[in-house]
Amino acid sequence: MTDFQTIDLLAILPEIALTALGVLVLVLDVTWRGKIRQQLGVVTAVGLFAIAALTAVFTYPAESQLLYGGMMRHDLLAFVMRLIFLVAAGFTALLSVDVDNLGRRGEYYAVLIAAVIGMNLMAASADLIMLYLALETTSISAYILAGFLFNEERSAEAGMKYFLFGAVTSTVMLFGFSLLFGFAGTTNLYQIGTTIQANSLAITVIAVLVLVGVGFKLAVFPFHFWSPDVYEGAPTPVTAFISTASKAAGFAVLLRVFLIAFDGTNLQSASNWLPLLTSIAVVTTSLGNLVALTQKNIKRLLAYSSIAHAGYALMAFTAIQSAPVQAEAVAAVVYYLVTYVLTNLTAFGVIILVAKNVGSDDVAAFAGLNKRSAGLSLAMLVAFLSLGGIPPLAGFVGKFFIFMALVKANLLWLAIVLAVNSLIALYYYLLVLNVVYNRPVAEGATEIQVSAPYRVALTALCVGVVVFGVIIAPFYDPITRIFDLVK
Amino acid sequence: MTVQVALFIALAAVAIVAAIGLLRAKNAVYAALCLVSNFGVVAVLYILLGAPFLAMVQITVYAGAIMVLFVFVIMLLGAEHLEHEDHLLLQGPLGWLLGLGLAGLVTFAAISANLSAPAELPAEVSANFGSPGSIGHLLLTEYVFPFEVISFLLLAAMVGAVVLTLVQREKKARRSLRNPQQS
Repeated sequence: MTDFQTIDLLAILPEIALTALGVLVLVLDVTWRGKIRQQLGVVTAVGLFAIAALTAVFTYPAESQLLYGGMMRHDLLAFVMRLIFLVAAGFTALLSVDVDNLGRRGEYYAVLIAAVIGMNLMAASADLIMLYLALETTSISAYILAGFLFNEERSAEAGMKYFLFGAVTSTVMLFGFSLLFGFAGTTNLYQIGTTIQANSLAITVIAVLVLVGVGFKLAVFPFHFWSPDVYEGAPTPVTAFISTASKAAGFAVLLRVFLIAFDGTNLQSASNWLPLLTSIAVVTTSLGNLVALTQKNIKRLLAYSSIAHAGYALMAFTAIQSAPVQAEAVAAVVYYLVTYVLTNLTAFGVIILVAKNVGSDDVAAFAGLNKRSAGLSLAMLVAFLSLGGIPPLAGFVGKFFIFMALVKANLLWLAIVLAVNSLIALYYYLLVLNVVYNRPVAEGATEIQVSAPYRVALTALCVGVVVFGVIIAPFYDPITRIFDLVK
Repeated sequence: MTVQVALFIALAAVAIVAAIGLLRAKNAVYAALCLVSNFGVVAVLYILLGAPFLAMVQITVYAGAIMVLFVFVIMLLGAEHLEHEDHLLLQGPLGWLLGLGLAGLVTFAAISANLSAPAELPAEVSANFGSPGSIGHLLLTEYVFPFEVISFLLLAAMVGAVVLTLVQREKKARRSLRNPQQS
């Protein structure tokens, strides 16, 4: 190992700061008593946003390089993904403040921060060992978060189900990793990419095994069975976090492992597993949208819709099969993730407030929301129209880039699948908005109070959704370089 | 070489039989015994691979500490004979079928891949390969970062374990405060 350099520290600056923040929250948890405990979430959120700013300013990778003996890679993909996770976690912390049995507990925020560290490392890992550890750090924290309200049967069930599914899929993936190590003789993703032979059955089998673990994180068919139950049972802020940041982390791993270790930039070796990814994407999207049509519970509805959204992003990834479109395909995936994370967090923010007021997660609970809180119904409108892909909101731009990438890659049939699915999805999003705006308010319903942290979070998220839908080039242009820099 | 291969096949067969026995055992104590024999056999496999330190860790940590925990839990819960009703009709045979299918596929793929040892790997391992000293050296040089991440992972898991069990204890304490005569 070479001598220590500043870059070694800079590359893990976000993780160092996050560890310090986690310890701070735990200490405050012990020392703060009474009403001030409400501020635990705010402290966490401010800390996370500050770390995001610190990351953005100081850790921009001037050149892509492998660090810590090839364990980590300091590059643009890791940089962008880290920002997504940090911001998503910051909003999650803000949206947790008033939740009963959750918002005033320091351990909750500490475990949330642990999950973010895991995700950051997932995005930066360049070694199978590092990758597996990062995945487990994220997963174990996420299981704890899902089962955090252990006294409530549904939350405990969610935690248990998530854990069992996660344990089995990560075992299968670990088996795949061990085979990969056996074939390549190295655990470094970048060396694996150059050692393994293209076009062999073994690589396809290994890719399937690894895909089991990654597919679980993405919640794509056929590894999606856990997600509706977990999303419904877990505390709503945790659902928001798992359905956004955790999914984005899965995509970060997918991009790096399949582009580098399975050599996706080489079309011949990519043909080993691309047909599989394409069919998974099509089935996932269609299944998610069709089942979402019948859902009465808003969290389940968003669970199935988020399955569909993972399918869209996966479709964008399959456009790497056309060499000139590869950079655009990767950029489309990342841009879609950004828009999806912002939009879904907005939707869950509204759900948290309404569910706290009404005590129910049913779509019917949203009846006449516009008369009970104009601001919340506006946030709902922005979130659901963006999910449905209506301009000028972020969701539209995300879908547009995917569509463009697919058309340019001569995958017209996939583009049509995407368009048809977007229409189906728009139908059930509009059904929810119909309940929000056109149904009479239930008797005895009062105006919904929105406390300051929620007001700040929802306003910022809505602004974000609009900004990413209107001001596109400053965000899109840098991420088109991700593909070249990840190689 | 051939002795090693024969030894490997025999030990692997024992490990697989023990693993299947663990899954099929109706009695929890038998399951625990199957598990410990699986751990032991895997430890011998590590020795075959030239990693005696790893084998010792496997014995002390898994076959020792973790097995003792298992046996204690079985004993304290009195869970030797679990009331066992088979609700899974289709899943059992299907699991066998898929498992064997996967095993066959992986074997076929491995054979058809025409494996040859990667060039950079030396044919003979050095004398101190797998010794505690060299493992420690690796852990604190090449793998120092993952090593630190493990400690963090354990910390997060510990906080989680405390949180998830503390909630129940608090509840119980509150209940016994309310009805002091019952406790």
